[in-house]
Amino acid sequence: MNDTRIRPRDRDAIIQSLRAGVVPRSGQQHVQVGRAREVESLLRDLDSVADGGSTARFVIGEYGSGKTFFLNLIRAAALKKRLVTMHADLAPDRRLHATGGQARSLYAELARNTSTSAKPDGGALAGIVERFVSQALTTAREQGTSPENVIRQRMAELSELVGGYDFGTVVEAYWRGHDTGNEQLKIDAVRWLRGEFTTKTEARAALGVRTIVDDASFYDQLKLMSRFVRMAGYSGLLVCLDEMVNLYKLTSSQARSANYEQILRIVNDSLQGISTHVGFLFGGTPEFLMDTRRGLYSYEALQSRLAENAFAANGLVDHSGPVLRLTNLTQEDFYILLTKLRHVHASGDPQQYLVPDEALHAFMRHCSQNIGDAYFRTPRTTIREFLNLLSVLEHNPGQPWEPLVGGVRFEAELNPDLEPLEPAAQDESRVDDELATFRL
Amino acid sequence: MSWPPSASDTSPGSSHFFRLHQKVQRWIHRQGWQKLNDAQEQAIPLVLKGTEDVIVSAATASGKTEAAFLPICSALLDEVDDGGIRVLYVSPLKALINDQHRRLDELCEDLDLPVHRWHGDVPGSAKAKVLTKPDGILLITPESLEAMFVLRGMEIGWLLRALRWVVIDEMHSFMGTERGAQLQSLLHRVELATRRRVPRIGLSATLGDMESARDYLRPGNGGDVHLLTASHQSADISAIIRGYVNEAPTTEDDEADGGTSVERISEHVFTKLRGGNNLVFFDRRGDVELYADRLRRRSEEHAVPNEFFPHHGSLAKDVREHVEGLLKSNRPVTVLCTSTLEMGIDIGTLTSVAQVGAPPSVASLRQRIGRSGRRGEPAVLRMYVTAQEINADIAPQDELRAELFQAVAMMSLLSERWYEPADTSSLHLSTLIQQIMSVIAQHQGAHPVELFQALCLSGPFAHIDKTTFATLLRDLGQAELVQQEPDGLLLLGRVGERIVNHYSFYAVFAEKQEYRLVHGSRTLGVLHMTTPTEVGSLVIFAGRRWKIVSVDDQAALIQVEPSRGGRAPKFAGGRAEIHDEVRRRMRRWYESDDVPGYLDATAQRLLDEGRAAYRRFDLARNPALATGNDTIVFPWRGDRIVNTLTAWLTRAGVPAVGDGVAFTVPKCTPAQLRAVLQQLLFEDDTTAEDIAAALPDTTVEKHDVHLGKPLRTRGYAAGYLDMTGARSALTDLIDRMPEYEVDVITGTSSVPAPLFTTPTAYAVVDVETTGFAAWGKDRVIEVAVIRVAPDGTVLGEWSALVNPQRPLAASEIHGITEDDVVGALAFADIAPTLAAHLADAVVVAHNASFDLNFLNAEFARTSTPLTSSATLCTMKLDDRVHQAGRRKLHDCLTAIGITTHGTAHRALADARATADLLRHYLIHTPHDVRNLVTGSERSTL
Repeated sequence: MNDTRIRPRDRDAIIQSLRAGVVPRSGQQHVQVGRAREVESLLRDLDSVADGGSTARFVIGEYGSGKTFFLNLIRAAALKKRLVTMHADLAPDRRLHATGGQARSLYAELARNTSTSAKPDGGALAGIVERFVSQALTTAREQGTSPENVIRQRMAELSELVGGYDFGTVVEAYWRGHDTGNEQLKIDAVRWLRGEFTTKTEARAALGVRTIVDDASFYDQLKLMSRFVRMAGYSGLLVCLDEMVNLYKLTSSQARSANYEQILRIVNDSLQGISTHVGFLFGGTPEFLMDTRRGLYSYEALQSRLAENAFAANGLVDHSGPVLRLTNLTQEDFYILLTKLRHVHASGDPQQYLVPDEALHAFMRHCSQNIGDAYFRTPRTTIREFLNLLSVLEHNPGQPWEPLVGGVRFEAELNPDLEPLEPAAQDESRVDDELATFRL
Repeated sequence: MSWPPSASDTSPGSSHFFRLHQKVQRWIHRQGWQKLNDAQEQAIPLVLKGTEDVIVSAATASGKTEAAFLPICSALLDEVDDGGIRVLYVSPLKALINDQHRRLDELCEDLDLPVHRWHGDVPGSAKAKVLTKPDGILLITPESLEAMFVLRGMEIGWLLRALRWVVIDEMHSFMGTERGAQLQSLLHRVELATRRRVPRIGLSATLGDMESARDYLRPGNGGDVHLLTASHQSADISAIIRGYVNEAPTTEDDEADGGTSVERISEHVFTKLRGGNNLVFFDRRGDVELYADRLRRRSEEHAVPNEFFPHHGSLAKDVREHVEGLLKSNRPVTVLCTSTLEMGIDIGTLTSVAQVGAPPSVASLRQRIGRSGRRGEPAVLRMYVTAQEINADIAPQDELRAELFQAVAMMSLLSERWYEPADTSSLHLSTLIQQIMSVIAQHQGAHPVELFQALCLSGPFAHIDKTTFATLLRDLGQAELVQQEPDGLLLLGRVGERIVNHYSFYAVFAEKQEYRLVHGSRTLGVLHMTTPTEVGSLVIFAGRRWKIVSVDDQAALIQVEPSRGGRAPKFAGGRAEIHDEVRRRMRRWYESDDVPGYLDATAQRLLDEGRAAYRRFDLARNPALATGNDTIVFPWRGDRIVNTLTAWLTRAGVPAVGDGVAFTVPKCTPAQLRAVLQQLLFEDDTTAEDIAAALPDTTVEKHDVHLGKPLRTRGYAAGYLDMTGARSALTDLIDRMPEYEVDVITGTSSVPAPLFTTPTAYAVVDVETTGFAAWGKDRVIEVAVIRVAPDGTVLGEWSALVNPQRPLAASEIHGITEDDVVGALAFADIAPTLAAHLADAVVVAHNASFDLNFLNAEFARTSTPLTSSATLCTMKLDDRVHQAGRRKLHDCLTAIGITTHGTAHRALADARATADLLRHYLIHTPHDVRNLVTGSERSTL
């Protein structure tokens, strides 16, 4: 237990995110527990990306087991290692392969969430281009040549890649805007790079390019981006794709296969070392990976590549394969997690702890009795309930903690689009939840 | 598009006309209309309010569409358009959408409001335009709306973000059908997607029960729905029913063409209808083709242009559209059609409407007549009714001329403005399954609670409770339609995914399957069927009577053999159910002397013949008729009640076959049947579900096949059986059927022999033996009998060891040793006692063939005769009830929760255990016990 004080801003951010069931964007180290070896393994991957290597890893864990938390932790580490990170959650309208704009939409989401150590909360793409241009200016000054020449040379390296020529044209357009003070041109160039143009006509009028980032160019665009961030002086690109289970949920088997084929391309490129300075992290559930009918394993070529080390069973682990399984948190991990939460809640001041250690034990007992084993696998709800408990104690000074622990309840989250329009009907069903616990 | 202002216009003072947008007012002026009609007037304030559900009910072509769309367009013009579809118009037919698109476009083009159509035949480019820039009014079919939910589940809320109204055209055609339940569910899901209540406007023909229409439009809140009824048109109908007698076929050609009446009806159609614009309605596509071919050949023979064209659902789209185009042109053309042209496409002025064969329902007849006389002229209807020529072989049903009486009954009901009410009895489980899969596909997974809330709790499946819903989900899991994730989320399973990804998923009704009808090696033709047909039922095809020998669903093949008995005018279940009221009315027409004025000479003759037969059979006093060994019963009740009665009788062990107006019970006299019916009514507390459970096939609707037996039985019982009606029909039949047998020759009457008797007692028996060879070296060494009363109480026990007079084997099984039996009597000595214990009782044993075989062998070796009447095997009984195959006595008892007592494999202990098993079934499934008692006619075992 450390005694370092936590800044109120950090504390509030962490507590609010966790209570909302989402992962805090910063300060994860304050609540990180366990999984030291997994983290270590991925940090090595990041080093290799910075050194010019490539990696593709599947972070596999149950719903709410902390995949997203884990990915964010790695992302934060990547930023510290001067990597650029892009991250997005897959969704029914955001996939790796599509024909209805869903892949472009995923790319646009990634581009929006582009982060650097200076801008860790996303929106860093414009800054990266700006940095590229200012580097070119410096080089031009040093070499005594014009910035156009430097940029054109650099962009020539990209033109060998699919879509590289237009990418170069757009970057040059940015430079022209920079040079001539044409802000609109700069904005349009960044919009193009973010995949926000939806029609080619529009893009041609604005930038003089014949293509746009569309469904088909999703992966090529990421490859270009990985080269480009190197040119701008970063050590590489880390792409985090979370909620991959959405591919598993796709209703059409053709659509699933097409998406898995895209994953195969990425995995092949990275295993064969074709791509450089780029890492991919995929977050998904065991079903997404293992289900032989609709999961990744349904795609023969992926199953053989992602097959886990047969020796890594019965407690033995191998953290170097493409699949990284997040093991369940142990009782001890959980206890430490609760103490950390208490610590953060008290802004790092042990004097302000709202509950004694017995309360932590009581809380864990209550959880294991009420939701059984699941709470080890899904820390998300447990964390939320614990913080809610602390919050009640904070706002009701003098309230003993004992009766509250027994009242902690765990409710499933429901799709708001399927809830009845009249709230009365809804309440009635919540009372008796025969179907909430329904199993086939 | 134009229609004359209705005669019943309101006074100008009350006009809401001026509340309409100026552009709309101007458009109305340009059409040259003087005033709006009633319904249109009243609709304006209600629709403009923007919150009210409204039903506009009026005859066809009285401006219902305008009643809805004039105020809607007016409101749309007044509001800011920020994109998004603003009005959803749902119609049952693609053709109707095309037609309405044309009509609405005329109005909306002026007003600058976009109108889009969206159904299976609309090109993808037009749809893509709507998807990128949704706006205005969207005309769509329920199936396409379903497809939108499945394929664009994420976008639908966005597409419909500005939705203001939903308009349902031809709403009466949806009510009480599977498709109607689907539409209700879809509209509910539209509201869930837009997160608000969207006012609904139903456009409906004037039909009997408007209360159920209000409830249909807004389930659970029908009371708040406004009902606007246009005052009745002075509906002048000039009608004639023409009768035809089908003479026995003389040549092969005649036989193939369905008899001589076809020839003469088409002749009449040709001469009377040629030169005008007409619709001729048939109930079968095959007939449409038959007549169309006839009329085309006749045109060729006369060297005149062919004016007769077929139109039905199996025809390709372009052929249908071509024919519709012809109708709208000014050329004289007569279209032969099925119900496809029954509904609202504006097809110009018709000279007349014809109907070949009695119509399926009064409501349908009304719709068909409505197609004619749309411009204020009287409607003209010709109905052609065919009857069999009377000859030696004719069946009593044919002699009654039932089809003519059905036509007459329907005409009289029509004139009283009676129509079949919408059938609201179905649980719509099949549709619910489809909707569950659709919601899962839409959201790519849904939790059970969410599904229940969305579809049942707040949705149109409110009659499904939580427990039923859970059972349904389990059935779906069993059928691999859904699968569940560890967090409870339901996804589509292996089978479900395949179903949803096929375009046929969007339609809630089963695609019609074509069956080949085969006799021996000769193919007779192709038959359309919607429902499975029972083996043994009768069918008329190619003018002859056939009995169905086998139905092969996989190969779509029906094997038939020639048949004489009974009569099935059309495929049982293959057509619409005839309503109870129609049959009751038929009976009144038989008993009346009135002759309606709209019958031609032949039809009048048929009417007289029918009444004469009715009197000759004395059906007014006695509904049952003995023919040969069989009894034909005329209950004069609707198809649903007759079907319930026959299924009930069949389950009770008296097979009965329903065929339209009557049902036939073979090998039984009226008095015997009466006794059985009485037993059904007074002794049996049978429920509809019990009857459904005994039916061989309760799979009717598309997804029924995925249901487990209990739910499917419940669904069938609710949707297709009518116990209340059946009980009332039984009471009526018992009142009027003869109680005693009357000998026609001597004139003496006697009490009928019971068709089946309730046993007075059961004798549960078990034997232990030296081995298995009953007729060989092995002998009985112990026997036990327990007599049990019909209610299950034990009347007495008896057991005895028997000296087999040979070395003992199998001691390890029963534990009986030589010492035990050496002092016992021989079988011959105990035989009289044993025979007395078995007398006058049903002999019951587990795996009875073994015990009976030994008893028969042993009794055969003695001089004592065995006079027991019937036998029952509890092993077979267990298999029948649980369908778990041949099970040991112990397993059977465990299955019903009884633990066995005493040493197994000693005679008395085993007999006691068997008696326990028997008692259980006597109490819980008495009809199964009764049905399994065999061999009552044999005098020895």
